[in-house]
Amino acid sequence: MNSASLSPIAMHKENIQSSVQKTGQTDRPVEVVAAEEPSLAGRPDYIKVSDFSFNYVPAVRVLHNITMEIPEKQVTAFIGPSGCGKTTLLRNFNRMNDLIDGVSHEGHIYVNDQDIHDRNLEVISLRKRIGMVFQKSNPFPKTIYENVVYSLRVAGQKNKQLLNEVVERSLKSAALWEETKDRLHDSALGLSGGQMQRLCIARAIANRPEILLMDEPCSALDPIATAKIEELITELKQSFTVVIVTHNMQQATRVSDRAAYFFMGKLIEMDDTTQLFSNPSQKETEDYISGRFG
Amino acid sequence: MNSSGKEHTLASFEEALQESRNAVLRMASVAQQNLDHAITGLLSRNAELCNEAIADDDEVNAFEKTIDGEGLKILMRFSPVATDLRQVLAAMKIANNLERISDEAGSIARRARKIGKHPEVAETRMIEPLYERAVVLLRDGIRAYAESDVDLGLALHKQDGKLDTAYRKTIKELTKAMERDPSNLKVYLHLIFVARCLERIGDHAVNIGEESVFVGSATDIRHIGPEALSEMAEDYSV
Repeated sequence: MNSASLSPIAMHKENIQSSVQKTGQTDRPVEVVAAEEPSLAGRPDYIKVSDFSFNYVPAVRVLHNITMEIPEKQVTAFIGPSGCGKTTLLRNFNRMNDLIDGVSHEGHIYVNDQDIHDRNLEVISLRKRIGMVFQKSNPFPKTIYENVVYSLRVAGQKNKQLLNEVVERSLKSAALWEETKDRLHDSALGLSGGQMQRLCIARAIANRPEILLMDEPCSALDPIATAKIEELITELKQSFTVVIVTHNMQQATRVSDRAAYFFMGKLIEMDDTTQLFSNPSQKETEDYISGRFG
Repeated sequence: MNSSGKEHTLASFEEALQESRNAVLRMASVAQQNLDHAITGLLSRNAELCNEAIADDDEVNAFEKTIDGEGLKILMRFSPVATDLRQVLAAMKIANNLERISDEAGSIARRARKIGKHPEVAETRMIEPLYERAVVLLRDGIRAYAESDVDLGLALHKQDGKLDTAYRKTIKELTKAMERDPSNLKVYLHLIFVARCLERIGDHAVNIGEESVFVGSATDIRHIGPEALSEMAEDYSV
């Protein structure tokens, strides 16, 4: 069967089976090297946003004619003051805003050249391709193990070996394996704040999404937990296209390759992060990043 | 206040930036005064002025440490970006250049004291035009920094070329004088070193101009060669 015609879960299973066959070991989980996995073939070049506007109710336009391209397997940071529209745009990428009554949009968002508002596209399948991590960690009141495999269970996956593989790989990718491998069946609610957030990242990547959206993922964490997440983001970009909303300018400079500054629902400037933070082309950007806002 | 004219939301950051800038300007003033004293001491054979130039170098050294320390504090406390970051880095680098300028002034003053113990030679006056060019370069470098004048900063390389030409000419003349009047060999040798100090001061002034261009335009013009520099100056003035 052509891998392009498989569902994400089936593709995932096929990948693991092929890895197992390659190594010839079936008695222990296989550490999957993401760069060599066939599932990476056909990953999107980028997210393309084309003249996109968004209204919460017909009279309140919160995004104005946004046009941008988000490169594949890089970290793109959205910065800007509260209410500038960065989270709204982020939540449009996986159509989370569809859950709100009265919203409407104009323009297009493409993921891997596919219009995400295409009538033939199932929202569920889109969300499987786009993982999301929120400001406040939100583990389910279940075990660590069950949190990670939740989406696979919902999809009907019962293969114990496969689930074990997913748990180990996801927790390793989220840099949480060493801390939890001996208590996988303990409640996730017993983890620290930083661990809970990394568990949420593990849960978000368990389904092998193409894109990982992060909405202020460190805002409730202490500096050490923040550093761990930032280190993780840098590693995750080897396999995923990451878009992060952050109010922390230093975090944006540390983790992102590209940065976009939004103000009043408009994209003011998008550039390489080093360029944007050393010599922004727009006066509004410089005023904001250097603390001369308001 | 940055180039956009807006003040930082954090008044303490704004104050720290302003204080760093003011310290550089005060340091430049002392360094230039040391140079003036050293040259006046040489030309007027005044050992007191030479001693002042040497003693006041300590003040310049202290400024350098203060500016570096404050710069580190600003980096640590406020994590500046864009123009603010360049402003802090430039202040630290300009302070280093001013310290070297003051060191050169001290060297001139030490040689001037020694020259004063020998009979006066007419060639001492040859130092004056070199000094005038060097001091104009220094003032322009500082003005470029103080007024964020990128055009002026870009123009300093050309000015320094004229100082270098005058320096080479002076060295030739002093070498001839050594051959002509071996009895004052030591004095001519001291004058050659004084000329060399002034030439180096010109180079440091150019460095200050380069930092000013970096602050104002985010462009690193060091070591790019005269042609690229001329093109940049033309582009910038358009």
